[in-house]
Amino acid sequence: MTIVQSEWISFLRQYGPIPRNDNMYDEAIHRIIKRKNIKPIIVDSFYLSELIENYNSPNPKSVILTGTAGDGKTFNCREVWLALNGSLQEWQNDDKVKELDLLNFKKLYVIKDLSELKDEERGILNQFVNSVLNPNDGNVFLVAANDGQLIEAWKHLGTDPLTVQVKQCVEDLLVTEIKEKSGFNLRLYNLSQISAARLFPQIVDVVLQHPGWNDCNQCSLREDAQTGRTCPIWENRNRLEGNKDEQLIRSRVTDLLELCEFNGVHLPIRQLLLLVSNMLLGHPEAKDRLMSCSDAAKIVEENKTSLASVYRNILGDNLTERRRESTDVFAALGKFGIGYETSNTIDNILIFGEDDPELLPYYEDLVLNDTYYGADQTFRANQKEYLEGVLDSGVNFLESLRSQRQRLFFVIPREKENDLKLWHLTTFQYAGEFLSDVYRVAKNGKVATQITSRISQGLNRIFTGLLAKNNDELILATSGSHSQAKVSRIFEESISVPKKRGESMQIRMNANGTLVIEVKLSSSVATVELPLQLVRYEFLSRVAEGALPGSFSRECYEDILGFKSKLLKRLEERRRIDEEDSDDESDLSFRIIRLNQDGLIDDRIVEVNYDE
Amino acid sequence: MNNERLPRPTKIDADMWVDEAIWGHRLYDEQTPWLCFMEFLNVLQSELESGRAFVESEPNKLAYSPKSRLYLRNILFNNPQLTLISSKYRYDDKEAWLQWYEVMGKGQAGIVNADFKYLEKRFSNFGDFASVIQFLRETTIEGENNKRWSSQFIFPYGPDCLYEDLNVKDNGFTNDRRFFGRTGELLYLMLTRSGKGVQILANLQKSVLNPSNKFNRLVAALEPKDVVSSSPLRTGVYLPYPELAGYELLADDWLSLLESNIPNYDAIPHLVNITGLHLIMYSLNRAKAVLGDTNKLTFILEIVSPKKTIIRELSSDSFIEHNNMSRRAIEAYIRQVIETESWNQVTDIHEAITVLKNEYAWPKDNKESEVELVNSPDDLINMFVSAAINRHKQHVNKFHGVWGKEIGLSSRRGARRLRYAPQDMLLKSLVLCVVPKRMEFQDFLDKLYEKYGFIIGDKQALELTEAGRADLEAFSDNARRLEQRLASMGLLRRLSDACAYVENPFGIQEEVLP
Repeated sequence: MTIVQSEWISFLRQYGPIPRNDNMYDEAIHRIIKRKNIKPIIVDSFYLSELIENYNSPNPKSVILTGTAGDGKTFNCREVWLALNGSLQEWQNDDKVKELDLLNFKKLYVIKDLSELKDEERGILNQFVNSVLNPNDGNVFLVAANDGQLIEAWKHLGTDPLTVQVKQCVEDLLVTEIKEKSGFNLRLYNLSQISAARLFPQIVDVVLQHPGWNDCNQCSLREDAQTGRTCPIWENRNRLEGNKDEQLIRSRVTDLLELCEFNGVHLPIRQLLLLVSNMLLGHPEAKDRLMSCSDAAKIVEENKTSLASVYRNILGDNLTERRRESTDVFAALGKFGIGYETSNTIDNILIFGEDDPELLPYYEDLVLNDTYYGADQTFRANQKEYLEGVLDSGVNFLESLRSQRQRLFFVIPREKENDLKLWHLTTFQYAGEFLSDVYRVAKNGKVATQITSRISQGLNRIFTGLLAKNNDELILATSGSHSQAKVSRIFEESISVPKKRGESMQIRMNANGTLVIEVKLSSSVATVELPLQLVRYEFLSRVAEGALPGSFSRECYEDILGFKSKLLKRLEERRRIDEEDSDDESDLSFRIIRLNQDGLIDDRIVEVNYDE
Repeated sequence: MNNERLPRPTKIDADMWVDEAIWGHRLYDEQTPWLCFMEFLNVLQSELESGRAFVESEPNKLAYSPKSRLYLRNILFNNPQLTLISSKYRYDDKEAWLQWYEVMGKGQAGIVNADFKYLEKRFSNFGDFASVIQFLRETTIEGENNKRWSSQFIFPYGPDCLYEDLNVKDNGFTNDRRFFGRTGELLYLMLTRSGKGVQILANLQKSVLNPSNKFNRLVAALEPKDVVSSSPLRTGVYLPYPELAGYELLADDWLSLLESNIPNYDAIPHLVNITGLHLIMYSLNRAKAVLGDTNKLTFILEIVSPKKTIIRELSSDSFIEHNNMSRRAIEAYIRQVIETESWNQVTDIHEAITVLKNEYAWPKDNKESEVELVNSPDDLINMFVSAAINRHKQHVNKFHGVWGKEIGLSSRRGARRLRYAPQDMLLKSLVLCVVPKRMEFQDFLDKLYEKYGFIIGDKQALELTEAGRADLEAFSDNARRLEQRLASMGLLRRLSDACAYVENPFGIQEEVLP
């Protein structure tokens, strides 16, 4: 048997972070697919059937498809076009605006990329305005544009009232993230709202099940029983498939992606494809740092397979720093600091595991067990030198520790997550708890009291500026002004955390499906919400436990003070409704707070006898 | 626009009239933006009481009389034993007061025949009194600073919280202008000359100048009732130009802040920041005018990146250029005399001295003998330039650097050189001033350029990139970093990779109300 140069691998490689990755563009993929006769990678489109149905209905609406570059706008346009019996040939010609007569006697205009329109071609948008304002108009549109282009294009349009009206509608749809607005014959689909965490497993499946892998069956490198050598690509594929570890890699990456989304980072399909391609093919010494079949052979030959580790590749460690940071998906995953963050337990296992009877089982399980990417010869040799104190040997070993921590993050089995404090391997120590005990629980149940208490304690510490331990009530205090002083001594009100006379604080999903801290002051005033994303959760948890993380404190701190301001505003309202006038002209009494010996907040009522 | 410099005062105490002629009397580096704001409030309140708020009937003739409030200040800031006494005599209230009167009787300064007994009637016990004082102390402006006690200020809850910076001795006080160096007076004149005083006053009377605010009344309760605490009339401020576009821009920003929905008092830190920025721009623009430089004043801002970038260099260059500008202006301003008719007619040193005296009030009569010995009028000019620069270096020269740091415009973060690298608080102030409700991110960048000359993104940096000093990408990365920071501060809503809206949380708030 010989080494097979698989067309599929070189096709997959095109999706990776290489200088000119043509596969980023729907248009280019089509050419390659045709030439090489490869089955395309197709991920189910979320909105496609809904779109086609719309244009087949008797009263279709115009549609704007928006989203980040790589979300699949062009793909969706083409599929709609083909489904409505548009010809592929016509699709591939250079016309920027394509026309099609529909069965409902309307004329469909498709603009697959708004930014391609030249200034003189923008006139068509006036027709678009008409079709949006008039349901009986003979024309209907399908426009694809990322939202920046959309806003930009409108800037150049006229300022007649109708255009302005439609422009405002589009802006509102964009900003408020809704699909339709009454009175306008228009729908806006934002493809960026499709969750990357949901797409990622799908993409992995599609890639792993691609018939192209059959090329490998004939390859001598696939698994050589005699030499024990395995192709790193094949090794990575098997690990990603995860038949032995219940698809652990996939689920950890999905967790990370989900957490990214909480922090407001959206990753489009294109970036996810890039991630999968890099996971399988990354190697720092291959051309463009992605292996082709011949690279793989060479790497096996030179005994450098450990650098192809799928775990490092997830984080883009095979790439140059510059490339890693300029690639969205790696920049986003890089924020977790995996490999750089650690705990004593983990490092002790990695360094001293062999000689420490207590850690030995872990060491065997997590390190020795994996001779491919774990305890390979180089690692063990470096480790030995390091422990024996051979001069200048530390650097290499410490460098490889980083890779090992990265690997551990993706291989520590679920049941050991807590024992080994898995999330201490990331910047966000509470991330695991946040996902499993807060976010996923809040979707259809009640978050544990213990967690709500901790969060309320964190809030109280920020609200008052004192190291308070109160955790079953929220203490609203000011310094006379809302946010000026660091310590707030003037007690305004305490709000019960458990439900009590209309008051409560809960962590829950709100009506839009956003995770929030929700505070109710009474049934007569509106509730106040603070979106709870990972950073804030981590911040509040750490504040509650005592240690203030210096690195990300400022922004969160301001956010929480803003939240306090909103609560105070509602409190004023409640007082107005309940007719408790607090700021009476003659009244000069204050409740001044301090911490008692148990760390709880006491307040002292001070009355001043003075009138001008 | 009337761009004639107003006549200088007839009597000049300073060694020369150079800094003052360009920037006014005076920009003072040791007076931080917060203290500038406090001085301003003192001026305004005093003028308000005299029925002349924001009215300047004759240019540069401001005469106002701020308060000294020595009782209040001794109690708040010259009262180190308060907590001790309060805990020692926790169960003996009578004794606590007695002990405290005794300590204060010895320790107070500046009050003749001091008597603090009025306090006992106003508080039900000493502990209450002590906790009120502790609370008010925690609102001290600029937190724990190491200034003398008579230069400490509490948060301006109302007119009764205002008093002037003083040098207090055992039985009296003088205003040595240690930290109230007239920059607040300049601010007052600028706002007066902006023509928007009436609107500003109406807004301030709802908050900082509102006597009926509860906390203001609390502070008032700490002063005895019948003690007059007015200081002598303060005069002598000089702001050179009757009209400048900058005055109005400053006033506009004040109004956007005051008229937004920011809760009571919370606008103040932003007012302070934005005032600092406008005064920095004022100082640079005046220097540019002297230098005959008509290009728009611009600042290259680095949105702090973890690594060294070309923007960091450019922004540092931009900072250094500005930092040297005032010194160059001094020299240019003096040397322009050489072009004048009267200088050309000078035949000897004495005539030259006379010309300089007329123009710059230098040298002083009693110091003439020191300069007469120079060889030529040219040497005389050189001597004067170096004297002027030495004087300039003491304070006005530092203004740009010190104030830039104070308002969070410049910093050294992550680098050795100072540069323009705005901090979160300033960014927030800018959003609140520039964005009424919601604004597309690119428009926001444009607006910052238009109003403040801030170069952040690639569109604003066109001139630089075309000259090959940096590539567009470096600037668009810079803008992206700003986008991320604003988003993390909850001031920006991002739609996709190419579109984002900057949002003013206090502009939008009302919209969300049910």
